[in-house]
Amino acid sequence: MTQTDKLFLRTENQEGKCIVYVGGELDLESAVHMRAVMTPLIELTDRELILNLRELRYVDSTGIGILVSVLKARHAKQAPFSVEAVPSHIRKLFDMTGITPFLLKQA
Amino acid sequence: MNHNEEVITLQVPASAEYIDLVRLTLYGLAVKIGFSFEEIEDMKVAVSEACNNAVLYAYGDLDTGMAAQAPQPAPLIEVRFVKKNDALSIIVKDDGRSFDAAAAAARAKPVDGGSIDDLQAGGLGLYLMQALMDNVEVNCEMGTEVVLTKRLVKSGEL
Repeated sequence: MTQTDKLFLRTENQEGKCIVYVGGELDLESAVHMRAVMTPLIELTDRELILNLRELRYVDSTGIGILVSVLKARHAKQAPFSVEAVPSHIRKLFDMTGITPFLLKQA
Repeated sequence: MNHNEEVITLQVPASAEYIDLVRLTLYGLAVKIGFSFEEIEDMKVAVSEACNNAVLYAYGDLDTGMAAQAPQPAPLIEVRFVKKNDALSIIVKDDGRSFDAAAAAARAKPVDGGSIDDLQAGGLGLYLMQALMDNVEVNCEMGTEVVLTKRLVKSGEL
């Protein structure tokens, strides 16, 4: 299988924060790419890990499963993790699956 | 089948890299029929979930990083889009191992309250199909066939 360009990931380190900008399609095919990028970032317990989903066009249960895995791993390490700029049709899936309160910072 | 139905059939290798092709086909057809953006997004996820299950459970797949299971020769997924007067049904069929639909349906549920420890990273696919479509049927004779139906509500007819 060739490397796909369907998922775009850009990591930005700021003071006390690591922001991952996620764009494109996060599905069964691109999940491998997402997991590979996220795995080392989970270990960075000295800073807040944030996923910015503004450019994410598609996600399904595969992608939601990755978010849940990251959430649980960060929770186990007592390290902060959150998701921001969630497009409305993706927010709908988060709401349906019940993960919204765990992913979004309280306003 | 009656003459009010039109059928578009797509057959793809049972591999993760072709599921977006199924979504693209669905998108083109759903726009032509007149579904709304939101309805099309719902159907894209539901159809992908059915295809994901075929790739992951019916045949097994190396793409997921799970242990390799002896793949059958050239496994395929057949997707039939059945356009009716008042609905679109999408039938996703594989010839792989049947999965236990009853057990899966019993597990298919969202997180209800609780804590992070109650969250599950898997098992949401069937739940999402049920939540996003108007009707979901799973037939498990000779492989698995999932029938996803979305009613077409034409604007102005409400």
